[in-house]
Amino acid sequence: MTAPGFDELIHPSTRLRLMATLAAADWAEFSYLKDRLELSDSALSKQLAALEEAGYIDTERRLDGSRHRLRARITATGRDAFDGHVAALEAIVAAGREPHSTRSSS
Amino acid sequence: MEHITPGQAGAALEAVEDARARVADEVGLPRGYWWAMAAGWLALGAIGDLAPPWLVMAATLVFGVAHATLASRLLAGRRRTQRLQVSAVVAGRRTAVIVVGILVGLVAITIGAGLALYADGAHHPGLWAGVLGAAVIGFGGPEILRVLLRGRART
Repeated sequence: MTAPGFDELIHPSTRLRLMATLAAADWAEFSYLKDRLELSDSALSKQLAALEEAGYIDTERRLDGSRHRLRARITATGRDAFDGHVAALEAIVAAGREPHSTRSSS
Repeated sequence: MEHITPGQAGAALEAVEDARARVADEVGLPRGYWWAMAAGWLALGAIGDLAPPWLVMAATLVFGVAHATLASRLLAGRRRTQRLQVSAVVAGRRTAVIVVGILVGLVAITIGAGLALYADGAHHPGLWAGVLGAAVIGFGGPEILRVLLRGRART
């Protein structure tokens, strides 16, 4: 089981969805992430750069014909941070339910 | 962390689950696979009807080998699009089983249709049964797989 660890870098909505998408995939192309997250090129580049700087994702430029395509993938560090963050969110939700369950069990 | 309420945490978890579900929706096979299968079905139907037995056997063998080669790369369902590769954990192992099930079912339907057409006195029953199978797999293959994947996901 992953130890909870709230991560301020991941928590903002866009980065959380970005990390969740990459956690469910081996890799995703820039165009896919842009469409799914409904971001502009510059906004997505900024989010990817922040996550890459933290070591949470890797990006790779691939030449496809005459076009460069950018692929992003989550790193082991990023997966640990993401899993820990999700565990922390689950712990917060569970803690919010606790008083009710305590009352109902007593 | 203290400033996150359980409601906000719950909403964040829903966003995580939604992102995962969107990736899971990408599980499937490339459109080209279904068109190639339809072409193969049609060719086998025509060859089975019009060609000598040795050619029927050779064509069936070639079809089987070609499909096995394609299948080893594609049947996991993780490469439907070139923009994303679904992780093995999210894709699971159900896609290959479902696709093979679809193909087995379609073989039975094609044979049944061929026998029915033959009994009815139709000319080239194998060819017409092949046309039927090709139409089902070419036009309906992706949709049949999608429906069955969703059905399995709910169970």
